Amino acid sequence: MLEIVAQAVINGLLIGGIYALVSIGVTLIFGVVKIVNFAQGEFVMIGMYVTFFLATQLGMDPIVSLVVSMPLLFLIGVGVQHFLIRRVLGLNDLPQIFLTFALSLLILNVALMLLTPNYRTLHTSYSDAALHLGGLTVPVAKLIAFGVAMLLSAILWVFLHTTDLGRAMRAASQNRDVAQLMGINPHRVFAVALGIALALAGAAGSLLMPFYPAYPMVGQVFVLMAFVAVVLGTLGNVVGALVASLLMGIAESLGIQFIGADSGLIVVFLLLLITLAVKPSGLAARS
Amino acid sequence: MRQQRRKFLKGASKAAVAAVAAPYVMRGYAADPVNIGGLYPSTGGMAQIGQGCVVAAKMAVEMVNNAGGVKALGGAKLNLILSDVQSDTTVTRTETDRLISGNKLTAVHGCYASALTLIASEVCERAKVPIITGSSTDQLNKGRHFTFTPFARASQFARAQLQMAKLVADKPKVAVVFENTAFGTATSNGLKELAPGEGVEIVMFEPYSAGFTDAGPLINKVKASGANMLFSVSYLNDLILIVRTVKQVGLNIAINGGSGGFVIPDFYKNVGKAAEGLLGVAHWNHDVNDAAEKVNAEYKKRTGEFIFEYAGGLVAQTYMLVDAMERAQSADPVKVRDALASLDASSGYAAMAPGGKVKFGPDGKNVYGHPVGVQWQNGDLVSVFPKEDARKPLLKT
Repeated sequence: MLEIVAQAVINGLLIGGIYALVSIGVTLIFGVVKIVNFAQGEFVMIGMYVTFFLATQLGMDPIVSLVVSMPLLFLIGVGVQHFLIRRVLGLNDLPQIFLTFALSLLILNVALMLLTPNYRTLHTSYSDAALHLGGLTVPVAKLIAFGVAMLLSAILWVFLHTTDLGRAMRAASQNRDVAQLMGINPHRVFAVALGIALALAGAAGSLLMPFYPAYPMVGQVFVLMAFVAVVLGTLGNVVGALVASLLMGIAESLGIQFIGADSGLIVVFLLLLITLAVKPSGLAARS
Repeated sequence: MRQQRRKFLKGASKAAVAAVAAPYVMRGYAADPVNIGGLYPSTGGMAQIGQGCVVAAKMAVEMVNNAGGVKALGGAKLNLILSDVQSDTTVTRTETDRLISGNKLTAVHGCYASALTLIASEVCERAKVPIITGSSTDQLNKGRHFTFTPFARASQFARAQLQMAKLVADKPKVAVVFENTAFGTATSNGLKELAPGEGVEIVMFEPYSAGFTDAGPLINKVKASGANMLFSVSYLNDLILIVRTVKQVGLNIAINGGSGGFVIPDFYKNVGKAAEGLLGVAHWNHDVNDAAEKVNAEYKKRTGEFIFEYAGGLVAQTYMLVDAMERAQSADPVKVRDALASLDASSGYAAMAPGGKVKFGPDGKNVYGHPVGVQWQNGDLVSVFPKEDARKPLLKT
């Protein structure tokens, strides 16, 4: 029994790491730029395909391809901020919502057209490998993904708390007007925030590829969990999103194990509702 | 000059009218093209199979037209009007409505996915347009008059799977996991009902919501159940994750992947060698008879892959519609419906089905309909069950 619980927690924690990469990106953009990026899942999808083609065309290992997918997505993020989001920032909420929503639909349908809806899977040497610890199984690919996800989250935390640019981003997220008065260039800060958020999505894509099939709609599977994590962990709070993602992964896995395989999401949303009833601003809110 | 031109025009137009009208005058009806509606999801979550269906639907119409169209209608060509139902039940309802009210349709085929087909069938019933479908849910055979299902029903799939289980293990202890919509629920309920009679013990029976991020928790549960065989009633992406996770966990268990996502070429491409020896069931397979092999060769030429059950089945369905039109000598939907009801095909493309015979009962079921058991062998999907349909022996792995 204990073994089953432990295995369920391990499974949940491992997938929670992936949720974290996606949700940290969403929450970072929301915190700094005050815009909800509905297209975050599609950027995960782009990361997956970049990784897939690097592997099949150049034989590059998915983990190594992080050095391509992250900078590439960073540049896309800067471009999206500079050419699209910047134009709607002064406007009210609707154009902002429609912009990222339209971007999501556009990327999705272009991918369907160019890449077909077929599934593409990578088989790496560690794709089907697992560590067996007593009766417990830890899949290697997921363990690597989790480890890298936690490492990237830690680097981001250090960046936000120790560098000038990081502090500027936090300042802009706390009060944009005051930050501007203090001499912070908001557009530079916003561009970096978008870049980092998308780079994290790209990392999620690369890390998923060894054990998850790529297809144009794949982003939507993960983005739903990411949005829940963002709300659960308090909007705009990076650490909150990380903790919420891991909790949700575990809750989902335990739900599947002990309630029913179709109630993973039910448990997650129950967790969300209860949290919101007790702490309306999410787990990381200061009361 | 002007006079002459007018005269020429008059003469020419008369000749043209006569030439065009001749066959109709002779036969007494119009050889307008016959409109056939094709409802398939070519976008959204079910797009993968849906797009293969679209390729096959176009191919079937070309085959019919190149062979001279519908002969009893003066060689009328089939005109396929496709509509994307976007993997969504609401869209399916509006698209089916739009297709029927906007075009003079003789018949409709689609949508492969049961959840969508049930809706499309309701709309067709109300509009009195026949619909012929590869969808396997038994609900389509209740209280409907314009709905025809030429292939095995979900309830029959279950018996075949259970009988195959006994060929693989002496005492099968089966874990059943299924996606919780119409397709998965219908198939797995059949399994549950029939298992005791077939002497198969079900040790786990678990619905899951399709499109999960991780199969780990589900496989964890299967492992804990002590099953020696896993029946998975799933769409493709879930099944890929399930099979890969079973290998990862090192669980030694025979897998029956059912139909749907399991019996399409992409399954093997994604799962690779781990797919070898896995069992499944299909309502149609590309090796059921010579006609099917021919259709398979043509489809392979176009796509590079073998033709999967829904795509192959709908080529047969197109020929069933043509057979009905030939006998009805009409493109009128109600007359074609009546002719379908009396269809009795045992040769040619219209009879491409396991067993090679198609005849509809009053509930729209093919009275000879039964599934084939299939197995992945050397990258090909081979019919291995029952004996009379088997093309190669079932391998115990």
